[in-house]
Amino acid sequence: MRLNNAIKTINGNPQLRTGCIMLIILLVIALLAPILAPHDPYALSDDMVVAPCREYLLGTDGLGRDILSMILYGARTSLIVGFTAAIIAGIIGTLLGGFAGYFGGKIDGIIGEMINIFMMMPSFFLILIVVALFGSGLFNVMVVIGLTTWVGNAKLMRAQAMSLRQRTFIKAAEAIGENRIKILFKHVIPNGIFPIVANTTMGISGAILTESSLAFLGLGDPNIISWGQIIQNGKSYLVNGWWMCVFAGLAIIFTVITFYLIGDGLNRVLSPKLSKVMFFTM
Amino acid sequence: MARYLRRRILTGILCIIAALCINFVIIHAAPGDPIRILVGKDNPNPELIAELTEKYGLDQPKIVQFGKYVGNLLKGDMGVSIYTNEPVWDMIVQRLGPTAMLALTSAVLAAIIGTAIGIFCARRVGSKLDMIVGSVSYLFDSTPSFWLGLMLILIFASTLRILPTSGMIDMRADHEGFAKALDIMKHMILPVSALTLTLIPYYFRIARSSIIQVMGEDFITTLRATGVPEKRIFRKYIFRNAILPTITVFGIQLAYLVMGSAIIEIVFSWPGMGSLVMTAITRRDYPLLMGIYLVLSISVAVMMLVVDILYSVLDPRISHECR
Repeated sequence: MRLNNAIKTINGNPQLRTGCIMLIILLVIALLAPILAPHDPYALSDDMVVAPCREYLLGTDGLGRDILSMILYGARTSLIVGFTAAIIAGIIGTLLGGFAGYFGGKIDGIIGEMINIFMMMPSFFLILIVVALFGSGLFNVMVVIGLTTWVGNAKLMRAQAMSLRQRTFIKAAEAIGENRIKILFKHVIPNGIFPIVANTTMGISGAILTESSLAFLGLGDPNIISWGQIIQNGKSYLVNGWWMCVFAGLAIIFTVITFYLIGDGLNRVLSPKLSKVMFFTM
Repeated sequence: MARYLRRRILTGILCIIAALCINFVIIHAAPGDPIRILVGKDNPNPELIAELTEKYGLDQPKIVQFGKYVGNLLKGDMGVSIYTNEPVWDMIVQRLGPTAMLALTSAVLAAIIGTAIGIFCARRVGSKLDMIVGSVSYLFDSTPSFWLGLMLILIFASTLRILPTSGMIDMRADHEGFAKALDIMKHMILPVSALTLTLIPYYFRIARSSIIQVMGEDFITTLRATGVPEKRIFRKYIFRNAILPTITVFGIQLAYLVMGSAIIEIVFSWPGMGSLVMTAITRRDYPLLMGIYLVLSISVAVMMLVVDILYSVLDPRISHECR
């Protein structure tokens, strides 16, 4: 029954519907990359800088690797980075925002100030420095993006917790002497989590863009294929081999739009009033 | 108002202090020894290493190094680059000009174009045109700026050959005066277009949604009911109220743009902060990195403060709410 409801909601919202279809395509590509890829994406061959043809549908790069296979495998990297970084940011934001909003007082003062400070930080530069100095393994990239992008979630959760605190069912739970931490985790967070879910979905887009920028600057994980890295390598062949940069960039755009659409759709389902006004909130 | 101002300034100062600490901890906790890089990996001359380590104070306890760094900063001294021996401040100032040129031009262009499109769409909410423009804005929002830059190079520089691919001036042509300015402008077209195109969606969305919001307010309905001409309602009441969020976004964008334009600068080999950041990172030039980060943090903090003050002057409700 709940599943039916969910499908109905998704079907009723064009953004959500398109986004979900695109997400399914992406997931299939990422999961079945070894089956779908016509060549080994790591294998070097003598067919260097070959334009798109029947053998290599999207051409080959300067080392003779098949671009199509690389892009298919790259979907894995993008999705892993996007999901992990956004979930880290979601968890940190929910916890900090929940504590600040529900407990208020001094805790709110300290966390509120932390939120203000982090909002003012040039976060991309921070990510750049940390990744450059501590090594650019995939793990580092994901964690650093997660650790620097939780602010939006924290602000949303704080506002949610502040308004939920005034509701009768929370007051009732407090009156019968339930542990306040328990109330926070059992009642406040589950009831206020929805906007954070929507925001986190958009965070996936942001994380994917950040990862591709890092890879483009040569600060991505050198051992793993990623779309940003394909573009970085293709940059020097721009004139003779446009296909290297073009297709990888299109893949990034497709993925980023997918999560924007889903996040936007979730926001609209959440508050139908918004649907006329906003394309999507940041 | 005064209380609001005090609070905001305090937050700004806290933010800069936090930036200083984070900066220092990260850079000094990182693996990789700058002296080693300076001396060269194949040249393990212990005397030279010891001498250089002492010269840059890297042998002292971290807390002493931090104290010294902050003390020098207060005197206006940001230290010298480990690599080139030039004062950090001078290196940054040299690069600020070209970066500001790119960032300011594109911010202003994006704000004007984005707001104009936003207003245009807001007055036709739900129409086909509104939907199309909205979808295009999605598209540009999802496009990595560096890729857009590369595509512009591909189309206009390497295929059509009507604009230069990179740099700020043509090194071969020895332009002076007006010709030089024209040359710089020609080199600016592509990077500015790339930046502007990625910024427009922000302004478009903000302008569109805030105008729709104001149009739905009760006082607008009242004005309409009393028979004020539609044009006058729009100019005098809707536009003035709806433009406030755009001002905030403009300020915040401007502060972040220095970093945002960095990646575009690298694509177009523009001699600004972006390339300075990259060289500082590859050379592990600690003083330079700390300097750049500090300048960025301060400029963001100051910009946000200015925006907040401006906003509370334009919309007195804000500072009242804070009390």
